[in-house]
Amino acid sequence: MKKLRLKFSKHGPIRFLGHLDVMRYVQKAIRRAEIDIKYSEGYSPHQILSFAQPLSVGSTTDGDYMDMTVLSCDSIQSVMDALNGAMNEGIEILAITELPEKCENAMTSVSAAEYVISFREGKEPKFDLSETFSRFMAQAEIPAVKKTKNGEKTIDIKPLIYNYEILDGNKIHVLLSAGSSSNLKAALLTESLFAFAGEEMKEFAAKFNRLETYLSGDDDKGHYVQPMIPEKMSEVSFASADGVSQGKIYV
Amino acid sequence: MNEKLALSDEILLSISKPERYIGGEVNSAVKDLSNIKIRFAFCFPDVYEIGMSHLGIQILYGLFNEYDDVWCERVFSPWSDMDSVMRENNIPLFALESQDPIKNFDFLGFTLQYEMCYTNILQVLDLSGVPIYTKDRTWDDPIVIGGGPCSYNPEPIADFFDLFYIGEGETKYRELFDLYEKSKEEGISREEFLYRCSQIDGIYVPSLYEISYKEDGTIESITTLRENVPAVVKKELCLDLTNAYYPMKPVMPFIRVTQDRVVMEVMRGCIRGCRFCQAGQLYRPLRERDVKTLKEYAITLLKNTGYEEISLSSLSTSDYTGLNELLEFLIDYCNEHKVNISLPSLRIDAFSLDVMSKVQDVKKSSLTFAPEAGSQRMRNVINKGLTEEDILRGAHEAFLGGWNKVKLYFMLGLPGETTEDIEGIGDIANKIAVEYFETVPKEKRNGRTIEITASTSFFVPKPFTPFQWASMNTKEEFLDKASITRKGIMSQLNQKHIKYNWHEADASMLEGILARGDRKLSTVIYNVYKRGCIFDAWSEHFKNDIWLEELEKAGLDPMFYVKRERTKDEILPWDMLDCGVSKEFLWREWETSKQAKVSPNCRQSCMGCGGANYGVGICFQPKTGV
Repeated sequence: MKKLRLKFSKHGPIRFLGHLDVMRYVQKAIRRAEIDIKYSEGYSPHQILSFAQPLSVGSTTDGDYMDMTVLSCDSIQSVMDALNGAMNEGIEILAITELPEKCENAMTSVSAAEYVISFREGKEPKFDLSETFSRFMAQAEIPAVKKTKNGEKTIDIKPLIYNYEILDGNKIHVLLSAGSSSNLKAALLTESLFAFAGEEMKEFAAKFNRLETYLSGDDDKGHYVQPMIPEKMSEVSFASADGVSQGKIYV
Repeated sequence: MNEKLALSDEILLSISKPERYIGGEVNSAVKDLSNIKIRFAFCFPDVYEIGMSHLGIQILYGLFNEYDDVWCERVFSPWSDMDSVMRENNIPLFALESQDPIKNFDFLGFTLQYEMCYTNILQVLDLSGVPIYTKDRTWDDPIVIGGGPCSYNPEPIADFFDLFYIGEGETKYRELFDLYEKSKEEGISREEFLYRCSQIDGIYVPSLYEISYKEDGTIESITTLRENVPAVVKKELCLDLTNAYYPMKPVMPFIRVTQDRVVMEVMRGCIRGCRFCQAGQLYRPLRERDVKTLKEYAITLLKNTGYEEISLSSLSTSDYTGLNELLEFLIDYCNEHKVNISLPSLRIDAFSLDVMSKVQDVKKSSLTFAPEAGSQRMRNVINKGLTEEDILRGAHEAFLGGWNKVKLYFMLGLPGETTEDIEGIGDIANKIAVEYFETVPKEKRNGRTIEITASTSFFVPKPFTPFQWASMNTKEEFLDKASITRKGIMSQLNQKHIKYNWHEADASMLEGILARGDRKLSTVIYNVYKRGCIFDAWSEHFKNDIWLEELEKAGLDPMFYVKRERTKDEILPWDMLDCGVSKEFLWREWETSKQAKVSPNCRQSCMGCGGANYGVGICFQPKTGV
């Protein structure tokens, strides 16, 4: 029995699938690929499969994760190849690694996510993105209106923004707190920014691409976040992030 | 990667279920246009989740895409939110695979599964920019062709179609495609092409027939308008089901659809001859698929799709002769591979209960009986072989096996129905409850008890059934009968264990009008569509008032279509079609029904319906006798 972690990307029309439909799609692909996945006990057994972090409909990703437990496999590479062979274009498994037996599952270990936020043609902000974003971040507290079941509430999102930079003057590159305890959606950050700039944001103005999903840890240098498969990380290149090794970013 | 989408991100993000419109599903067909001579848009005129659950579309889609020169794509009715967006933004309706406008296609095919989808056909034509009426179309428009059960009386929608395909699609489409390619090369007129189509067996070209009416509104004559146009178009039938094409790689929707499983058709046709049932006549004679072939199909289908459930499909799966062997095999295979088996249309008896206990969670599943009528007399009238004894014995066995939920299906408004027949519904439900209490002693109930749900639908007479001549009840009669049924159930000793549901009567009335309607109705359908009627099959969208107003404006009396019993010599609107079962046989069955007598099924003895003319199937197997 092996516990595996797989990193995947999602692009193209398939980005319009809801999270549950992505899960169903992958479950069926696993069966078509004849991967010897472990099933739960009981009358209606289900695959031992968990996804790290839901992605909102319409967004793309280069760094999402799922964990699965297989009873047997030739090699972990063969699992990745078989799965890629069984899926349509759109979702691609980029990396796979074996996890130690005792290990938190993908969903509970998520603690940060990295995004590039860009703007659809004709819906770009009129304000200067670099200058406004610096002032936005310089606030003592960054208020954002979060919609909850019980109405709206204003929270301070500043502690949830771990790192940021403006790319090409028109894209926001951010590392945000994620996971079950304190999750900051990239959409909420964008809304808050427009509110700060006093500009009305056009509907569906922003496009979100998730670059990487992180778990967290502590070492002698402090608290850090690190890609969920560190050795297969996409290039982390925050200008301000120092001491990066194995993708560790101290926050 | 194919990034091409007909709709913008903004639209896809603002409507419900964008997955309905993006295509790209596993096993969907993408072809290189440079090799394609015929682009076929296959439409199920209802929402995606309903259309994608239909087996027929998967069969013909797969079959057409086997041809190198044909690319078949899918299109469904845009849901009401998308319908508004497309109209506001002038977005032409597109096919899912290529996302190209339907208008550019060579064929637009509709599968006609129920009458209440007729306005959706107009929606699809309209949003595609294809003229609604066949007379207004040119070679710039696709050839609009219909098939499926409602094509056996296509008259209310005849003016909207260029062609109808009568019968099973496996046989004649290649010939039609070849004719199309040849006609295009020759540069003949569209009209001439349609005429040539009429020379292909099974193709009905409605514009080549003229209908004249008597003063009382019935048909005076049906005349063919050109030489050699067949006076009667006979149903096409797939003669060798085992070796016929079957889609081994069905398209797999991203979203959960109504039929979210592998569907394996074990046979086509039915031996039973229930007199209300149209499918039971249309698909005659019964033809089975070879059991060895089906075992191979099951494995391949499950491997190719990754589905966790397989369903055995037919009109009456208990009548499949290889069922025992097939199920034994499937139970082993499916247990090993964590696959569920779904068995709709199984008769409840010791065998089926044993099988179901192996493939279902007894505590969660319910038993379904379809007595269809409350009294034995009425069940004889409709030729439903099921007796009260059968039901109670099946229920007894089931209760011993741990089941405690029972669903019962009945029809109201059957020909010659009396109050006693209706009250029988409550009686039989009560007897099932009594059977439960007698079978399962209190200490074995574990806090559970019997739950019975009785549902009634309103009977709608359909063409090509023995009841095609029958009077249908009016809305008031229906509602009275539902009320008698409810009171009958409420008066039972065990009434608190019986739940009763009934259907809406308005929609049944309209279904009755359209099912046996004539060409005069096409104006009404067009006018209600223009006034906003679509998705009539969905109660939240059905606008009965508009239909009634437009019928009245057109000078058409609903009672003419619904209430009026037809005489033997009346020319019926669908008399230019032949479903393989003779009118004489249907009339004999109509007469027999009036005497409340049953007829034997095809396995017991041949009733000479005419199906044997196809030379295959049950007609040529030894009979067991009555």
